[in-house]
Amino acid sequence: MVIAIEVRDLVKRYVSYERKGFLRRKKLIIEALKGISFDVKKGEVFGLLGPNGAGKTTTVKIIATLLIPDEGYAKVLGYDVVEEAEKVRENIGVALTVEKGFFWVLTGRENLKYFGMLRGLKGQELEQRIDQVIKLVGLDELNAANKPYEEYSLGMRARLSLARALLPNPPILLLDEPTLGLDPPSAKTIRDLLVHLAHRENKTVMITTHNMFEAEIVCDRVAIINEGRIVAIGRVPELKRMTSNRIAIELIFSGPSIPLNIVEEKVSRFLTINEVNVKPLREGKARIRIVSNPGEEEIIASKTIEILYSMNLKVHHVRIQEPSLEDVFIILTKGGERK
Amino acid sequence: MSISIWLILRANFYALFCWYKNNKWLLLSLIIWPYLMSFVILAMGILYGDLESFKERLNVANPVLYILASSAIAMSSVGIIDAVANFTIYHRWLGTLPYLVMTPTRTYKVLLFSSIPDSITSIALSIASITPAVMYFEGILGITKIAIVLLIVYLGMLPLLGISIIIASLTLGIRGEENVASSLTPFILLVSGVFYPVEILPRVMQYISAVIPTRYVIEATRFLATYTIPEAKILFAFFYILTILTIGYNSISAFILRSIERWARKRGSI
Repeated sequence: MVIAIEVRDLVKRYVSYERKGFLRRKKLIIEALKGISFDVKKGEVFGLLGPNGAGKTTTVKIIATLLIPDEGYAKVLGYDVVEEAEKVRENIGVALTVEKGFFWVLTGRENLKYFGMLRGLKGQELEQRIDQVIKLVGLDELNAANKPYEEYSLGMRARLSLARALLPNPPILLLDEPTLGLDPPSAKTIRDLLVHLAHRENKTVMITTHNMFEAEIVCDRVAIINEGRIVAIGRVPELKRMTSNRIAIELIFSGPSIPLNIVEEKVSRFLTINEVNVKPLREGKARIRIVSNPGEEEIIASKTIEILYSMNLKVHHVRIQEPSLEDVFIILTKGGERK
Repeated sequence: MSISIWLILRANFYALFCWYKNNKWLLLSLIIWPYLMSFVILAMGILYGDLESFKERLNVANPVLYILASSAIAMSSVGIIDAVANFTIYHRWLGTLPYLVMTPTRTYKVLLFSSIPDSITSIALSIASITPAVMYFEGILGITKIAIVLLIVYLGMLPLLGISIIIASLTLGIRGEENVASSLTPFILLVSGVFYPVEILPRVMQYISAVIPTRYVIEATRFLATYTIPEAKILFAFFYILTILTIGYNSISAFILRSIERWARKRGSI
């Protein structure tokens, strides 16, 4: 087993200031990472899964040499991200945000040429590589390569972002929420491509996401990060086994536009269960998912229907299921949040 | 493979070329800008006195040419400060800054040399825009003068680059989107003698102007606008001063940029 990325005891603190008056301000230290460690093997898709503010982007930025950690170290193919930043940069392709990061007036092809030159590509080699990556990410099918970037849809921007990361043909790809905000067909294209890159072209891919479905179908291994700590790490089936003695209850509901966090809060408090998650669906519907112990599912389902009715919400259907990766995530990130 | 300075310059010249190619109206506005500025200055000046008194006061033979040249230089100076000092803000706004920083070479090298093509182009465009007017007023002699002015402006650019890099470093470190350069540019132009001759400025401003490189560029232009090629020793004096300022500002700026780059990576402001 060859290690592509090695992360050990990473600690990162940010300093911010809170206004306490006209002149006074209080120094706040936010600990974004509290000593995380993991390895990413060569040729695998590794997912860093966590809610917003968990420390996913901070981790990617440290590995991408954009941030210096306060403690611990990270190595890419054996190169230290602080001391040997140039060597690390030669071996990585990075996509940080999909909605920007290019010159607006330049076309996709012109943008790729610019960034390609900055990665040391030139002449015929550069042109050929641009053609290859445009084809690989499917921008040629959309006739988008010669359009100005400002006219790109979010899906096209995500593809261009991935094309830039692939341009120097790096062995390692670091992608921060690569499908965030994309429509389902675009997201599927990107996901299929990531699997292709890892399993057919032997690239090491590290992605961050808070999309459980994505992590389940794309990642070979997943680390769940919460509040700056890795709370679980392993293959998806291994993580799912952590909940083998639990059961998931899912209810689909609709009704007046009550904020979903209020629904989640109320159900969670009433049932005295932390592992509750509410998500919006299409056509004004929403889904509530509760993880409980076997044998309690019927009573929990009926109590939840009661609460939802009391909020004038209409329940469309109830389903009892085996826990998914999403439930693992809910248990690990919400369990113990409220006692 | 570490990326060479030449590749950084080439990439940025290419981006600039595409930018102007896809933005033809902007290119046109850059070319007519010195004429518009000169027109406004002359029109306002004529409200207070005729061209003869202007000639006398400024001691220039051709006020139209002088104002055109000053406008072009003012624009070049603004262009340099804007291109270099606002570089980090611009790329942070575009979202391209992290990708530039991730270029496999020293970060300060990328930040320093990425903005140079824009500075060079902005000077070349400003000078090119006034060339037809110079040809009209002074013929071949005018072209010789404009070539000397171009040389002086490029020399003047070197220390100005240093000042701009210091501003860019501060912007990189403070994380916010404060446009430091925009606040400083009018002051730099004022103490350089773009709007009024340095001699009539308050004493404090005259002292400050002694360390502002654009002042010497404007002074050189003034000499050239007096119809006679200035004595070589005056030009040499300017070159001497500009060289000292170049070494001074660029040594300080290189040190500051290197220190702030690491600090910014530690702080998370990239």
